[in-house]
Amino acid sequence: MNSLVVLPVLLPFLVGSILILLVKRHALQRWISGITMTALLVLSIILAVVVYQDGIQISELGNWEAPFGIIFVADMFATLMVVLSSIVGFTCLFFAFRTIAPVREKYYFYPFYFFLLTGVNGAFLTGDLFNLFVFFEVMLIASYILIVHGSTNYQLRESFKYVAINVFASLFFIVGVAYMYAATGTLNFAHLAERIDEMEQTGVLNVIAILFLLVFAMKGALFPLYFWLPRSYYGPPAAIAALFGGLLTKVGIYAIIRMFTLVFNHDPTFTHNIILALAGFTMFFGVLGAVSQFDFKRILSYHIISQVGYMVMGLGLYTQLAIAGAIYYIAHHIIVKAALFLFAGAAQKITGETHLKKMGGLLGSHPVLAWMFFITAISLAGIPPLSGFFSKFALILSGFEEGRYIIVTVALIVGLLTLFSMIKIFMYAFWGERKHTEEQSQMKIGSVLLPIVPLVALTIIMGFAAEPIFQYSEAIAAELLEPDVYINSVLKE
Amino acid sequence: MTWLHLAIISPFLLAILIPFLYRYARNIHTGWFVFLLPLALFAYFLTYVPVTSGGGTHQANLPWVPSLGIYFNAYVDGLSLLFALLITGIGALVVLYSIYYLSKKTEPLHNFYVYLMMFMGAMLGVVLTDNLIVIYVFWELTSLASSLLISYWFHRQASIYGAQKSMMITVFGGFSMLGGFSLLYVMTDTFSIQEIIAQADQVVESPLFLPAMLLILLGAFTKSAQFPFHIWLPDAMEAPTPVSAYLHSATMVKAGIYLVARLTPVFGGTPEWFWLLSGFGILTLTWGSISAVRQKDLKGILAFSTISQLGLIMCLLGLGSASLYFTDADETTMYATATLAAVFHLVNHATFKGSLFMTAGIVDHETGTRDIRKLGGLMTIMPVTFTVSLIGTAAMAGLPPFNGFLSKEMFFTGVLNATELNIFNMETVGFIFPVFAWIASIFTFLYCLIMFFRTFTGKFEPSNYEVDHVHEAPKGMLISPVILGSLVIIFGFFPNLLTYTILEPAMAAIIPDSMNYIESAIFNIYHWHGFNAEIFMTLGVVAFGALLFINMGKWSALSIYQKERDPLNRAYDGSLDGLITGSQAVTRIQMTGLLRDYFAFMLVFMVMLLLYSMFYADAFAINTQDLAPISPHMWVLTILFIAATLVMPFINHRVTAIITIGVIGFLLALFFVVFRAQDLAITQLLVETVLVILLLLAFYHLPEIRKETFKPVFKLTNAVISVAVGVTVTLIAFSAHAMQHERPFGAISEYFIENTYELTGGQNMVNLILVDFRAIDTILEVLVLAIAALGVVTMIKLRMNGREDV
Repeated sequence: MNSLVVLPVLLPFLVGSILILLVKRHALQRWISGITMTALLVLSIILAVVVYQDGIQISELGNWEAPFGIIFVADMFATLMVVLSSIVGFTCLFFAFRTIAPVREKYYFYPFYFFLLTGVNGAFLTGDLFNLFVFFEVMLIASYILIVHGSTNYQLRESFKYVAINVFASLFFIVGVAYMYAATGTLNFAHLAERIDEMEQTGVLNVIAILFLLVFAMKGALFPLYFWLPRSYYGPPAAIAALFGGLLTKVGIYAIIRMFTLVFNHDPTFTHNIILALAGFTMFFGVLGAVSQFDFKRILSYHIISQVGYMVMGLGLYTQLAIAGAIYYIAHHIIVKAALFLFAGAAQKITGETHLKKMGGLLGSHPVLAWMFFITAISLAGIPPLSGFFSKFALILSGFEEGRYIIVTVALIVGLLTLFSMIKIFMYAFWGERKHTEEQSQMKIGSVLLPIVPLVALTIIMGFAAEPIFQYSEAIAAELLEPDVYINSVLKE
Repeated sequence: MTWLHLAIISPFLLAILIPFLYRYARNIHTGWFVFLLPLALFAYFLTYVPVTSGGGTHQANLPWVPSLGIYFNAYVDGLSLLFALLITGIGALVVLYSIYYLSKKTEPLHNFYVYLMMFMGAMLGVVLTDNLIVIYVFWELTSLASSLLISYWFHRQASIYGAQKSMMITVFGGFSMLGGFSLLYVMTDTFSIQEIIAQADQVVESPLFLPAMLLILLGAFTKSAQFPFHIWLPDAMEAPTPVSAYLHSATMVKAGIYLVARLTPVFGGTPEWFWLLSGFGILTLTWGSISAVRQKDLKGILAFSTISQLGLIMCLLGLGSASLYFTDADETTMYATATLAAVFHLVNHATFKGSLFMTAGIVDHETGTRDIRKLGGLMTIMPVTFTVSLIGTAAMAGLPPFNGFLSKEMFFTGVLNATELNIFNMETVGFIFPVFAWIASIFTFLYCLIMFFRTFTGKFEPSNYEVDHVHEAPKGMLISPVILGSLVIIFGFFPNLLTYTILEPAMAAIIPDSMNYIESAIFNIYHWHGFNAEIFMTLGVVAFGALLFINMGKWSALSIYQKERDPLNRAYDGSLDGLITGSQAVTRIQMTGLLRDYFAFMLVFMVMLLLYSMFYADAFAINTQDLAPISPHMWVLTILFIAATLVMPFINHRVTAIITIGVIGFLLALFFVVFRAQDLAITQLLVETVLVILLLLAFYHLPEIRKETFKPVFKLTNAVISVAVGVTVTLIAFSAHAMQHERPFGAISEYFIENTYELTGGQNMVNLILVDFRAIDTILEVLVLAIAALGVVTMIKLRMNGREDV
């Protein structure tokens, strides 16, 4: 048993449980949370380095070997995701320290926060389909509570829809697990991959593949299963919206990529073309949503949808370059999207508004915020030389190489509309006449912006130093396209 | 990293320092620090003149993202050097001018110079690198810097509008250009322009040739303000005048020209390239010059004039590309004249237009207005400005002895030669080029007259100006326009200063294959060619232009003259509005806010996709091999179960509904009993009991269910969807069950059945799976319950109003 693999799950689980007992001790909670989150970040980076150097690490829980017990599998893809979740978890936590009302801390804010990370990291690391379901449950129940935390009328109304649709998705998930077990007689990913390979992914296995695609597409907010997302992300505080916006849908995307590279990879002309079509529609309708809105947070919420489309586009193209692009995109997106939601929070802290038509002139009063937002926003739109450009470029290039002109055209148009809607935010909120009071324009927000600095720095670094990041993404893509390595290290063959 | 790379990125490095310089050296105008850099760079690039004029090139390599074929390879040849000198030379003059134009007391200079340096670096990057993607990166940065400079006075609505417009149009072009570059990569497997040129034959034969060309030209045309994408340029005039002089006339708008020139060796010699460039060029030339006449704002006139001149250069590049088609001296020389004219006019335009923008800026700065209806009689008040304007305007109008005359004459030669082309269908329609060129020149002459005479002659009306005392600009502000004005004269008298040092090497980069055949006579540029067709065309232009100007009173009442705004703006504004309202409509239809709609959409989609995949994979299978017999009490249970479920939708009373749910749950427990799963049965009974009690307790406090009436269609749709979901799920279940009998291996449960006792010492296999083999699942489910419990507490006790935090 390799304990390093388990720690990203165990640590937030234990600390979250301990924090339940300390809810009245605000300062202590913050100290423990801050230290834990830092430790988690360091740990996840160590794990990623170890996996990068020594190959896949596994941990057999309870020493029950695969496929009978539950195995945690840390490959490069999973560890990258854990690192990203730690980065976002870290920044959002410190942003929360600066922004959330103290009363939230009394109501288990930090325990929920860590339980959410437990679920997310577990979903990345587990090598078992049913266990994935369980980690999804942990993640979701924590997210239900965090999204409704504060119980404003708006939150209660919109969170209900979020919960209803996600519970429904979980229902289909468990039905899918049952089908899968009935058809193959196993639940371990590696074992499933091996068996489905032997059964040549025929008959109902293709239908089960599509069912899982739909289940994870609901979690990942793909077309036309994204209805729960835009309104529900408007309710919670910025730190939570940023964590969700950056991280949660990407767990669904992670599961899709995992499933359709490791397990269901035998009929890509069927499955991956469906994925590609979904990608196109997702991008398009998502960005139209963003174009239609005039609210800072709502625009960002719709952009989650459109951006998710790019990631599955990489999977749908199903070449090494395309998948590398998708991996790069996920990393870029998690960082940038979290940062943007935090900027929305910072702007709201100053002006008390998120509706663009009630905002204006922030560039004059808060230039640092404005420029950090600007860099992040154009990175989202794919303007070089920031991280968004290289990830999009890899996808577009591979699309052209494969002769998939329609999806590339959609991707480029969506990029333009993304720019349009991000510039819309900049035009209304940052340019124009100042609409907030003199007192508000004097507000010092350096301490609020500080936690976002690492994210902005990362999007810049990932652009200028694109080569090492891209090589890493390519290594991950190569690993995903060679599932035998994964299978053999789990089943020890 | 070489000196050349450093030269390209030095403006960016300086941009990082500027905010500190501004902050800690407030007494000195920040522009003075900035001024030194373009000056030094200009000197540095001059050292390359001997290299390129000898036909040499210089390349310095630096890998950036080799995995994606991106190398930051700096490359200097005649064409890039010409642009580099323009960028740094005009750049230095503009910075010098801006020091006097923008007050250090009231203006946020750090913003201004950061944007300006960002632009300068990006522009140098565009012209000095060999890799298409690196060019693209810098290209987008120039768009960005341009928009930021347009929005420099960001509280003005017009500035914001102009910034957004320029960004949308140029980035649109940029994105399509990126697509075109990617297609070139697909064809040639490289992003290096030099390597692509080496494979030009292959590119021309590829089916992707035309799409790649069109996409790249979209980029070039949007950037260089070619019809119909030119509409952003007039709105870009909201930028401070130094910016207009620099970006929006001398350099950035010529990036498209540069790209077209740079890629002519790849695409040139084909009819598509020839026609697209010359066609859009001549159209832009004509449209721009006619539109310029309608403008009342000095900068508006200059903007449309720039559009029209850019069209002229684009057209010349198109006509010149025909020379690549030929391999004999006469014809090659004849058509290469157009390319030479293009390069020469590029330089000339930068000088005279730069000086005119600066004098327009001076007029604005000293009088507070740029409206030609208010201006007048400034000749004696601003003698220096008047003189520089006179020189600049005369050059723009194409009058001797200034440089504009020379290149205008060469332009006429180019279009006249084009009529003699017997390729690309030119023999039938070639005559339109001289006709359009001549008409456009008349209007050019006309707006030059209007602009000049309305500003400097006539009566000076002090009441038209907001400033108390109108006077000549300070000396510092006059330095740059005077230098540019002098260049107009120098290049006019001594054009051959440029020919072998700058123009010929640039030409060699645009039409390399033709250079072997060209007769050297064409490089000898001079004023008087005798009474040829060109001189008569010029005389005609002067005569008709003057005639129109004299009779202006007659036609200035026409409504077409009264309106200033380009009618194409309606298309842009309309499409933006349409985009927003359209997207709102699309979003409103799907994002109704009603859960039942969401479920309907999702379920219809899921069922359809699942059924399609069942059909595709021929997945349906049913296997009755080892089905147990169904006993009578099972029948009873099943019928009750189904009946209770069917009753549910018809219940309108809350308590009844809860009880019915309870019934369904308890029947399920009975199923477990029948199947001898006692553990599950007990769990189910417990859950069901608690559920019913809790629901009853909670619902006791709620009002009655509101009676809702729905249309039958609505109910029917829902019924169909529900049935479809049920059927689909069942069909897949049958098929999955059937698969169990087809697969060559058993389930992992066999392992547990065989080994549980031996491995764990326990006999209850299910329990041992839960608490031992898969204990982590159980622990996590406990966690789920704990979170739920805490969540309930939180939801009950924590009530906020949403304004406490963000």
